[in-house]
Amino acid sequence: MTETQPTDRAIGRRNFLVRAIVGLHATMGAILAFILGSTTLSPSFSGRDETWLQAIDLDALPENQPVPVTLRVSRSDGYSQVVDRTVVYLVRTGDQDVRALHSTCTHLGCRTSYDRKTKLILCPCHGGVFDTEGHVVSGPPPASLPSLPTRIEDGQVLVQV
Amino acid sequence: MRAILDWLDHRTGYRAVLHHLLEEPLPHGTGWAFTTGSVMILLLAVQFLTGVALAMYYVPTPLLAYDSVRFITDTLTLGWLLRGLHFWGASFIVVAAGIHMMRVFFYGSYKAPREITWLTGVVMFLLVLAFSLSGYLLPWDQKAYWATTVTINIAAGTPVLGEYVANVLRGGSHLGALTLGRWYTAHVLLLPASLIVFVLAHIALMRRHGISGPITPQHGPPVQFYPWHVIKDTLMMAAIFALLLTFAVKFPAHLDEIANPADAAYIPRPDWYFLSLFELLKYFPGPYEPVATMVIPGLVVGFLLALPFLDRGADRRPFSRSRLGLSITMIAIASAVLVLTGMGLADLPSKYDPNDWGPRAIAGHQLVTAADNKCATCHVGGGPAAELSITRITKDEEWLVAHMADPVAIAPGVRPASDPTPAPLLTRLQSQSVLAYLRRIRAGAVPPQVSDEALVAVNTFATSCAGCHKISGEGGENGPDLSDVGGRLDAAALKRIILEPTSEYPDTLMPSFAERLSERQLNALVQYLANRH
Repeated sequence: MTETQPTDRAIGRRNFLVRAIVGLHATMGAILAFILGSTTLSPSFSGRDETWLQAIDLDALPENQPVPVTLRVSRSDGYSQVVDRTVVYLVRTGDQDVRALHSTCTHLGCRTSYDRKTKLILCPCHGGVFDTEGHVVSGPPPASLPSLPTRIEDGQVLVQV
Repeated sequence: MRAILDWLDHRTGYRAVLHHLLEEPLPHGTGWAFTTGSVMILLLAVQFLTGVALAMYYVPTPLLAYDSVRFITDTLTLGWLLRGLHFWGASFIVVAAGIHMMRVFFYGSYKAPREITWLTGVVMFLLVLAFSLSGYLLPWDQKAYWATTVTINIAAGTPVLGEYVANVLRGGSHLGALTLGRWYTAHVLLLPASLIVFVLAHIALMRRHGISGPITPQHGPPVQFYPWHVIKDTLMMAAIFALLLTFAVKFPAHLDEIANPADAAYIPRPDWYFLSLFELLKYFPGPYEPVATMVIPGLVVGFLLALPFLDRGADRRPFSRSRLGLSITMIAIASAVLVLTGMGLADLPSKYDPNDWGPRAIAGHQLVTAADNKCATCHVGGGPAAELSITRITKDEEWLVAHMADPVAIAPGVRPASDPTPAPLLTRLQSQSVLAYLRRIRAGAVPPQVSDEALVAVNTFATSCAGCHKISGEGGENGPDLSDVGGRLDAAALKRIILEPTSEYPDTLMPSFAERLSERQLNALVQYLANRH
C-alpha cells in the first residue's frame, strides 16, 4: 500500500496537468475562434438601414393602376458605396393612399412588368402572374410581391426602401 | 468514441505520430527558459489566423486599401480587435524573437551540432522584419505611405545599385498601386510560405538534436515533454496571449488620415523596430549614409550568421574565457539597438489626432451642410450619387478639386473650347476645405461644435490664409505653419502682421489684408489665431 500511494498521486498530478493544458489551449482557441467567427460572419447577418425616398407626385398616379417608378438607393457596400436602382409599382388606392410593391418576382428574382390589357403583373421568366395587390394569381411564385411602407407628404409619395 | 478513434488509428496511425511528437525525453532541469520557442509558435499562429481574416476584407489598391482598413476598424463587428491583435502581434513577435534569440545565445544553444538550427532562426528573424516592413504599408494611411517612402529612399541610397533596388521595391519610379500590390503579395504569399518552410525545418532540427537543456548539464532522470514541460509552455503561452489581448483591447490599432502623396510636410517615422536604424542615420550624414543603412546592419547580420562558426568550443557558459568576447559583442549590439530605439521613441513627432479640427475642415463642413450647398444636388438619398457621409475618396486631389468646381464634367479638364467652362461652383480653396472635411470624417472624427465668431474666423482663414498657411496639417506651404501661432505671437502682433506684414517682416511676400477683411473678420481671425497654442 505504502508503495502505490505516491504513484497514485503522480498519476493524479499528471491527469491534472493534462486537463490544465487542454483547458488553457481550448480557452485560447475559443477566444480566437470567437473573434475570427465574429469578424468573418458578422457581415453575412447585418442588414441595411432603411430610408424614405421621394418617388413621385401623388397627382401623377392614376387610380388603381400600377405605375413602375425607379428609385435610386445609395448604400454602403462594405468598404465601398453603390447606388442601386430599384423599381417599385406604386398603386393609388384612395385619395391619400398609395400601395408600393416590389417589382421583383418572388419565384427566381426576374423583373416583372405590368400588362395594361389584363391589368395583371406578369413575370417574363416562368409565367408568374400577380394582381395589382401583389397576390399570386397563377404560376410558380411561392409568395405575394412584398409591399413597402409609403406615406404622403406635401403631395409627394415617399417610399421606404 | 473509443471505437471510432481505434478505427481512425488503424487507418492512419495517428497515435504513433502523436506519440512521436509528444513523448520526448528532455534533459533534467529543462525549465521556463525553454518556453520562448512555444511563445513564437503561438504568436505566429495568431498572426496567421488574424491575417487570414483581415485578408478577407483588405483590398491592395490605393483606391480602396484605406477604406477597407477603415471598414475593418470602424464597421466590422470586433474588426478593431482583429486588427489590434494583428497590429500588436507584429510587435510582440519582434520582441519575442529577440528574447528567444538572446536565450539561445546566452545558453550557448547554437553550438555544434545545432549550427543550422541557429541559422534557420536568424533567417526567420529577418523574415519577421520583412513581414513587419511590408505590413506597415498596407493600411495606406499617411503614416504607412510616408514611412515606406523613407524606407525605400534609404534603399535608394545603396551605392551603385540603389536606384534599381528602389525601382524594384516600388515596381516603378513612384510609390503607388504597383508598390502596394507587390508588398501585399510578399506579405500574404511569399513571406508566409517561406516562414512556414523555415519554422518546420527549425522544429525538425530541434527534434533531431534534442533540446540543449541547462547550461551545465544536471544529473537526474529526463523530463517527459508531455505533460511536464508542455504545462510550462502552455502557461507561458496563455500569459503572453492574455497580455496581447490586453494590448489589443486597451490600445486599439491607430489609423491616420488616408495617404496624401501631395502632403510633403508630413513627418514620417518607421515603426519602432526600425527606429534604431532611423536614429543611426543621424550619425552618418551625407556620403556616410550607407554606413548606417548597409555596413552596420550588414555587420550585425553577418555576426549573427557567423556566430556558431566563430564559437566552436564546447563551453556553454556565456562568460567563460572562450565566449567572453562574443557575449560582450552581443550585449553591445543589443544595448545599442535598445538605446537607439529609446532615443527614436523619445523623438517621435506628436501623433496625428483626427479630432483636431483645423479651420479648413470646419469650413468644409460648413460648405457641405449649408442650406444652398450644391453637393446635395446629386449626393443625396435617392440621388444619382451616394451621400457624402458614405462617399469614399478614390480620386486624387486635383481630380476632386476639378469635380467640385465643375461637377458636370466627368473627366475634369477635357471640356472643349467650344463648350465654355461655367463659373466654378466651388473655388479651389473651397474645394480643398471640403476635401479637408471629407478626410476628417473618413478618419472617423465627429465635426465639433463651433461658436459663431469662430465660424467667421475659420471661414476667413479657409478663404484668405489657407492658400499659404497650414493649421492642423491642412493648408499651403508658402508661409509658416500657424497651428500654434498663439504661443509665439499675441493678438496685437497678429493683427499688426495681418494688416501690414512688412511692419514685422520687411522681406515677406505676404500682402496686406487691410483692404480685404472686414472689421469682424479681422477680429475673429486674430482671436482665433491667438488662441491656438
